[in-house]
Amino acid sequence: MASRWIVFCFFFGAATLLSGGLSAGLDAQSRGAADDSLAIVVNRTNPVENLSFPELRRIFLGEQTHWSNGRRITLVMLEPGNSERQAVLVQIYKMGEKDFNSYFLHGMFTGEIHAAPKALPSSAEVLKFVLNVPGAIGYVKAPDVNDSVKVVRVESRLPSEKDYLLRLRGKLPK
Amino acid sequence: MKRSLVGEPGQLRTSLRGRTLSGLALFLFLAVISAPLLRAQQTDAPSNSNKQSEEALLQRVVQLEARLKEVEAALAKAQPGAAPAASAPPSAAAPTFTASPAPQEATRVPQLQAEQTEQEPMDLNRTLLRIRGYSDVNLHGSTLRGDPASTTAFGLGQVNLFVTSDVSDKFKFLSEIVFEAGSDNAFGVDVERMLLTYSFNDYLNVSVGRYHTAIGYYNTAYHHSTWFQTATGRPFLFAFEDQGGILPIHNVGASITGKVPSGSLGLHYVAEMGNGRAYRTTEPVQNTVDENTHKALNFAIFARPETIRGLQIGFSVYRDLLTPAAPPAIAETILAAHAVYTGLDFEWLNEALLIRNAPQGTPRVFNTPGFYSQISRRFHSYRPYFRYQYVNAPSSEPIFSPNVGLQHGPSFGLRYDMSEFVAVKMQYDYTMLRGDRAFHTVAFQTGFTF
Repeated sequence: MASRWIVFCFFFGAATLLSGGLSAGLDAQSRGAADDSLAIVVNRTNPVENLSFPELRRIFLGEQTHWSNGRRITLVMLEPGNSERQAVLVQIYKMGEKDFNSYFLHGMFTGEIHAAPKALPSSAEVLKFVLNVPGAIGYVKAPDVNDSVKVVRVESRLPSEKDYLLRLRGKLPK
Repeated sequence: MKRSLVGEPGQLRTSLRGRTLSGLALFLFLAVISAPLLRAQQTDAPSNSNKQSEEALLQRVVQLEARLKEVEAALAKAQPGAAPAASAPPSAAAPTFTASPAPQEATRVPQLQAEQTEQEPMDLNRTLLRIRGYSDVNLHGSTLRGDPASTTAFGLGQVNLFVTSDVSDKFKFLSEIVFEAGSDNAFGVDVERMLLTYSFNDYLNVSVGRYHTAIGYYNTAYHHSTWFQTATGRPFLFAFEDQGGILPIHNVGASITGKVPSGSLGLHYVAEMGNGRAYRTTEPVQNTVDENTHKALNFAIFARPETIRGLQIGFSVYRDLLTPAAPPAIAETILAAHAVYTGLDFEWLNEALLIRNAPQGTPRVFNTPGFYSQISRRFHSYRPYFRYQYVNAPSSEPIFSPNVGLQHGPSFGLRYDMSEFVAVKMQYDYTMLRGDRAFHTVAFQTGFTF
């Protein structure tokens, strides 16, 4: 009887340790993925939950100017020289800083684009802006997100999830 | 063989052992499943170290304090005369990746602030204007005889002040105020564009004012800035009215623009109604007075397929009635089609149009066809380009100047972007004319934005 309890305790302990280890490993893995991810954030009052990558691109290019609720979209970017901005230029805009400037200057000149994205110096400023402007959309590093804003899924995935598209050193989405 | 309901003692032992093992297996399975939960609960459990609990509680207190300050600030704004509260930064809580709605308390502050933003009155002490300038300086010479402007000379281009303003969330204002010297060397000022636009949504934008007529592509893509253009100037099909152009480039009236729900085809429409071009006066754009009550109508539709970004294919129809001092009136129809590709490096513009002027009550119709094709490729900061253009107006055309006639020929050029905002170009044109000698033109241009 005693030997049975010893066997039971051994298995129970091993299983607990194993599951704990696995769980910690998974946590670390998802944390690692999230640390490298760029979260797309909107105002909490915005009804949008998910954006396809083409939709996201249209919004960032100023081709889609209104949300589904009729509110005008206000795009906010980080200032040049920022790694998050660089990742967005590469992965969403697929252009460099000069072409980005030229694109928006031309778009505003033709009248097709209402205004160039607002540029702010830090993630904290971006979060504050998104908090205060109902139609705002921006991006920050996933660990910088707080509950003052809403994180939008991109292609039905959150930044912590596997195969999330927007990463600081991500591949170019098709 | 008779089976016992109770069974043998050995069988009973085996049965009990089997149940024990299966129970153990079930327990182990539950233990594996529940271990992370137990672990998570243990993290928050007060039985953990006191230090961790205190830190967690302190963090929560800090968050609540920050939230309280936000609420106080919002309330202070909502109550006139209340003392302004210091704005608190958003709480620096741990990252949450939930897309689900937050608790009611958490959403209340942003909602309140959103309402505040919407109801914010116009600040009369703050300017709403954004101004950007575009200009160019040229050196050009030509072998065209008899033209006083063909001598080799430096020339100031247009000084264009592009002014925009966010009047409100839905209204926007846009204008181009251009200072330009004419062939008499005297400067004049023109409001080349002035538009007030109301945006209902992406599918409906209504504008009133003076605009560039949406005939073809070039006219609404480049407006009054040479800096945006690859070449030193517009194709002569799209030359401005005061520079001998044959199209009603500008119009005063109303326009409706927007997308057409068409998925990845990316259809857009433009519908315009305006005064049209003048016939009797020297000022070609009817800014305040129209020679007749008939309005010029223009409708354009174009596609920007999502699969080939940079491609635009479109068609437009323009219709107007021109009324000379002596009848008959002339019905004017302009048909235009374009297929352009403007990528970051490669550019290929192709446009063709037909201007039909038909004096009413007569069987005659004067057709003026024209086209141009322009191709360029960027190599780092250099962009060599080639353009071929053609326009053929009948010699007895009742609207255009007799100078238009037949003009066609190639242009070669090179654009060099010295900096992000300054471009230097040089261009050579060879132009053939009907019944006259062909002539050469060379131009150097520095275009810039400021």
